[in-house]
Amino acid sequence: MLPISCFLPIWTSLNHALKCKGIRMVILQVIDMVKKFGGLTAVDKVSLQVEEGQIFGVIGPNGAGKTTLLNCITGAHKPTSGIVNFLGEENLAGSPPEVMCKKGISRTFQISRPFPRLTVLENVTVGAAFGAQSHARESAEERALEALEYVHFPLPEDTMAGHLNAVQLKRLDLARALAGGPKLLLLDELAAGLTEGELADIMKLIKRIRERGITIVIVEHIMKLIRGVCDTIAVLDYGKKISEGKPEEVMRDPKVIEAYLGE
Amino acid sequence: MIKSTGKASTIARTLMSRTGFSSSGIILIAILAVLPFIPPFNSEYILRWLVVGAFMAAQAVAFDLTAGFINVVNFGFAAILGVGAYTSAILANTGPHIIVQPGISPWIGIFIGAFASAFLGFILGFLTLRLRGLYAAIMAWFVGIALLGLARTLTPLTRGSLGMSPPSFFDTPSNMPYYYLALGMMITIYIVTKLVTTSHIGLAFKALGQNFDAARASGINPTFYRVFNFTLSCFFAGLLGGFYAHYFVSMTPKAIMHTSKSVETLAIAFIGGRGFLWGGIVVAFPFVFLLEYLRSALPQLPGIHIIIYGVLMILVMIYYPNGVAGFITELKKKLWRLRKPEKT
Ligand SMILES: Nc1ncnc2c1ncn2[C@@H]1O[C@H](COP(=O)(O)OP(=O)(O)O)[C@@H](O)[C@H]1O
Ligand SMILES: [Mg+2]
Repeated sequence: MLPISCFLPIWTSLNHALKCKGIRMVILQVIDMVKKFGGLTAVDKVSLQVEEGQIFGVIGPNGAGKTTLLNCITGAHKPTSGIVNFLGEENLAGSPPEVMCKKGISRTFQISRPFPRLTVLENVTVGAAFGAQSHARESAEERALEALEYVHFPLPEDTMAGHLNAVQLKRLDLARALAGGPKLLLLDELAAGLTEGELADIMKLIKRIRERGITIVIVEHIMKLIRGVCDTIAVLDYGKKISEGKPEEVMRDPKVIEAYLGE
Repeated sequence: MIKSTGKASTIARTLMSRTGFSSSGIILIAILAVLPFIPPFNSEYILRWLVVGAFMAAQAVAFDLTAGFINVVNFGFAAILGVGAYTSAILANTGPHIIVQPGISPWIGIFIGAFASAFLGFILGFLTLRLRGLYAAIMAWFVGIALLGLARTLTPLTRGSLGMSPPSFFDTPSNMPYYYLALGMMITIYIVTKLVTTSHIGLAFKALGQNFDAARASGINPTFYRVFNFTLSCFFAGLLGGFYAHYFVSMTPKAIMHTSKSVETLAIAFIGGRGFLWGGIVVAFPFVFLLEYLRSALPQLPGIHIIIYGVLMILVMIYYPNGVAGFITELKKKLWRLRKPEKT
């Protein structure tokens, strides 16, 4: 007879595996998402599963449908068909963006969308006052200041947003999204146009945000960032998901290499 | 004792800043309050200009709530003001010229008229909801035209283009009580508007006006805030319409509700400075005086005021998009910066 303790190592490793894979909660689930613009299918039956605490990357050539996919998740676009489940709530596809924001999805835009005639602080206060945590105990201004500090915003908070440059505007977008207190943060090409130093900085920042318990989906072109921070990535090409997995595996996938060479 | 007065003064100060009364604002109001006793303003003739000034100023504030915050130019503003005027005038009617004789006091009718206008504002808010900027403005314009047409054709109630002669508020030929009534309405509308716009509601208005998609993505419900904005602005318009009816005691649809009336309000609000609220107040009085003076001095040029509005609007839009209020604010900031280094 084998002593029971013999099974113990097997049990622990099994348990560990379950924790790593199955037990972890799925926070966002996209099933068979389709978005058509007239004759063009920008997103073609894409399914994704993002687990809580993950940093999930979405890559693909220009025009692959990445931004459109984000827009369909946040409600900025009504998907032609498909299902979005978020935080245990089912069938949220087609809900308006303000509802998705209140449920805990914040985003930044590929081309930043500031409120140009408001100050930096007021811009971020909008996020804090109307986002998912709008009923928090601290005042919206306090949470806005905290978010600005968190992203190391480089300018005084009474600067008019209309006077910022593109890189500063991206930070402002990020601070506004964070101030809402989201559970899931969608970042659309946040790092475009950054210098090496700024890139390293933003990668650190993204990791810090994850440590706060915020799940992140990143759309990005810069492979260094994708390799550096993402746990899992999905590749879109002509609206279809052609590959998914760990970054280093996906980068070796011949289909992915072909899609990028074809660009 | 000392402590409590200290507390009271802090409360007064925060209330002052929330309602946007700087010390210069209070001085301005004080000057306006004593003006009717100072020659030459104490003549009935010029007092009438002051009444019109306060009336236009109040309109500009209510108009700016929509144009300067959610960025929708309400070309139907005058028509909705007319709905308030006609509602109150019809309710006050006792004569045989129209089919109903409710005989309700103007003091009650003015509020019923304001609610009627607010209701139309509510509807206009929904109608323009899916439209951005210019398209929303055009929709508001069409609604204004439709309301004007309605006032013209509902002759059993409005006597159409023949016009109505509603009763007056006061039993006196003097303009004095009307001036203080108009001034009181102007101040009340300003305070309420300022309280709303300095709260988070105002932040939502500005966010929606400056970037609609980003505002929605930040959790702002556009339906609620835009409809609320239109409703409040149009409520004030209706209130001012009631004032018009029972002050001028003579009204035709064209004289109140025509789009050119909305444009006059727009001009004062824009030259005053979009989104500042008080800009229109500062501009309205000198404007009304200038225009009335020109009208009496150059009777052979009846359209002169439109030309002046046009030229000034063009100049402001090109050289000073923030208007007079923006100019004053920047001047203050510069003076402040000049003073600061001396202190430190
Ligand atoms: N609002 C829109 N109307 C019509 N076509 C659109 C719209 N938005 C995106 N597209 C098209 O959908 C495709 C995917 O675009 P997008 O999602 O922006 O790609 P990516 O973000 O991957 O570069 C492109 O061909 C683009 O032209
Ligand atoms: Mg894109």
